Amino acid sequence: MNILGVSAHYHDSAAALVIDGQPFCAVQEERLSRHKGDAAFPMLAIEWCLEHAGLEPEALDAVVFYERPMLKFDRILTCALRAFPHSWGTFPKAMKNTLGEKVWMRGIISSRLGVPGRKVLFTEHHQSHAAATFLTAPTSRAAILTADGVGEWATLSVGRGEQNTNGGTEINLLREIRFPHSLGMLYSTFTAYLGFRVNEGEYKVMGLAAYGRPTMTDKVHQLIQRTSDGAFSLNLDYFEYHTTARRSYSDRFIELFGPPRDPYAPIDLETADGSRFADCAASVQQVLGDTLVEMTQALHQETALPDLCLGGGVALNGVANARILAESGFERLFVPPAPGDAGCALGAALYADRIHFGNPHRDMPDHPFWGPSIDGEELARLAREDGHPVDQLDDDLLIDQIADDLAAGRIVGWMDGALEFGPRALGHRSILAAPHAIEIRDQLNREIKFREEFRPFAPVAPVEAADKYFELPQGGARLSRFMSGVFPVRPVWRSRLQAITHIDGTARLQALERDMSPRLYSLLEAYGQRTGIPVLLNTSFNLAGEPIVNRVAEGYSTFLRCGIDVLVADRTRVTKRATARRKEDVRA
Amino acid sequence: MQKLLRFSETEIDGGRDILRAAELTSDPLLRRLYLEHAIDEFRHGLMFRQRAFSVLRELPPRSNRTFQPDLPASGGHGLDDLQLDKESDGSLLAFLHLSEKAAASRFTIYRDVMQHDPPTQAIFAEILNDERFHMNYTLTHLVRVAPERHRRHLWRARLSRLWKGYLRLATALASVIGTLILTLQYFIVLPPFAWLAKRAKRKESPGWFPIASERNGSLRRQY
Repeated sequence: MNILGVSAHYHDSAAALVIDGQPFCAVQEERLSRHKGDAAFPMLAIEWCLEHAGLEPEALDAVVFYERPMLKFDRILTCALRAFPHSWGTFPKAMKNTLGEKVWMRGIISSRLGVPGRKVLFTEHHQSHAAATFLTAPTSRAAILTADGVGEWATLSVGRGEQNTNGGTEINLLREIRFPHSLGMLYSTFTAYLGFRVNEGEYKVMGLAAYGRPTMTDKVHQLIQRTSDGAFSLNLDYFEYHTTARRSYSDRFIELFGPPRDPYAPIDLETADGSRFADCAASVQQVLGDTLVEMTQALHQETALPDLCLGGGVALNGVANARILAESGFERLFVPPAPGDAGCALGAALYADRIHFGNPHRDMPDHPFWGPSIDGEELARLAREDGHPVDQLDDDLLIDQIADDLAAGRIVGWMDGALEFGPRALGHRSILAAPHAIEIRDQLNREIKFREEFRPFAPVAPVEAADKYFELPQGGARLSRFMSGVFPVRPVWRSRLQAITHIDGTARLQALERDMSPRLYSLLEAYGQRTGIPVLLNTSFNLAGEPIVNRVAEGYSTFLRCGIDVLVADRTRVTKRATARRKEDVRA
Repeated sequence: MQKLLRFSETEIDGGRDILRAAELTSDPLLRRLYLEHAIDEFRHGLMFRQRAFSVLRELPPRSNRTFQPDLPASGGHGLDDLQLDKESDGSLLAFLHLSEKAAASRFTIYRDVMQHDPPTQAIFAEILNDERFHMNYTLTHLVRVAPERHRRHLWRARLSRLWKGYLRLATALASVIGTLILTLQYFIVLPPFAWLAKRAKRKESPGWFPIASERNGSLRRQY
């Protein structure tokens, strides 16, 4: 049975193909269109998935869209009505936006793919999140919590999933919290207030939080209160996202927290404003963590299950995830590599397979590498045409050479195998560097990633060695499989892991198993033999404002535009020629 | 200042498209030139942005407080939504040549009228210099890659720009008409429904909503 899952039109569109109950391939549209966070209908991703599988659209048994468009329209219209007459400016835009394309998904999918309308199915947004996390996790019974900005109406839902002994699967979402009360929107409101782009800058808030102190939690608690039934509600006097698209916070919010940050102004932590913004970030991070911990504690007591599957964009918050693991009572916490909306494409397809069609459970490959693969020969050709030195080596020699490069302080662009599905670079499209000196971090921020200095970099370490360098609680290694948790670096190692140790002594670790990425694992071993510490700095292979590279040509153009010293694709290693081509030479 | 920010975004979006062209072309010389061109566009974007930021700093506090940067949505497409994967080197070079030519004439005007603002004028002058190079190399290489058909490519690009200009205008006009009609409907048709919706909202208490088991069922419905 061939099932295509599609997510689109909010942010980060994607397509995923499930064949006979297992993921076959999945890719985000942005990786192919090269427009970061591309929300367009993912035609490129769909075409690639079908081509990769050698399928014509007629061979699809179902195409599953990741949410119910009319239910979402119901929410948008109802919110406009409730906000009358203040929504007069937003209403025309919302209606044009929704009625123009978004509600006609059955027809659009049917006409663009050439499949009959009866084959187009719809899951609910949070069902897709729940399926994406539960059906890909190595567990047979688990509690489920999904949380994001908003789907149709739901912003947070809880339930449980179970694989029955007869091979069937059940996902029962039991209750939900509805828009406009939303943990995701609370965090996004602070993201906008702190001058970052919503749906893109949330992790900057998390990074900034470490520089502040949670001195404003009482103020944040004026925005969010727990309800008597264990849920929460937002005080809507402080928000405007439910009435207008102009901005998400109200004048009262500004009265409470002070003037918002100008997006173009640098954050200077020495100034009163800079420190206030860091404290704001720390406070909302604290309250988000507290709320999630309390809700998951209650869910643990209710279900008495040892495993929790977490999905939705909020599950990208590694600091909160680590607190949930440590404080909720659950023994294991599973977060998929793509917990956000892109992952819903895979979730929707899997939900249809297991629940709608009733197909038996299949064990899932436990990795995120579902995208297009690279070709090292292509890199060799490009580099030779431009006169850059090229080495094509056996794998062992190449690994040794790259380990030498890294030990010598060179920065390496690393492309290996199939592209990751999800926002994290987990070793197939990564920039790697030595993790020891703070100068490397500054160099990466300044010359390669062109981003704010307060942003931390993540480490990757072999799972067997992770506990030596990082304080991992029970279940911490599993949570670190896809870089989903932030854990303390052991104090004794912090001075030797400065480039990946955040200001608060933590790091968002990737604990790597050999089977998941054998070549990167070998590189860690080789690097460990040279330096005594088998840990590398691992950051996504992209520049600011660009999606993670996909093809070799994109890695190559990125390599040429920034301070990366060495580029590796498969068994090809390229360095920059000793004398850089002068601009005048190119122009001549 | 808003204009500077818009210029900045236009340059950066254009730079991304040209970078994409560099990644897609099979012509090594063009690849190097496109890459250089893209780097120029990114640099121009940064120059405009930094200048906008300086202007912002110089504005009186009242203007500062009400500043709302007009940033395009993430994933915005540059260069008139070009389908770069489907463009030949010839057609892309023709399109780029005309775009750079138009930009050069526009920036010449801005440079000339910015005499009261020497820092901004200097930026336009520097960018103008680059735009002239971009204009020249695109034409030179258009003649190289399509010696027999370069004029045809240029005419096609002109017509395409005209058509896209018409589409933009028509879309903007349709959008204004649509907004007017929907705003009228909002005030004429919606009030009773708004009253009902607000009444329903008052009865709704925050907290958990149970999910009926049938919602975990059929995938055929859209609501």
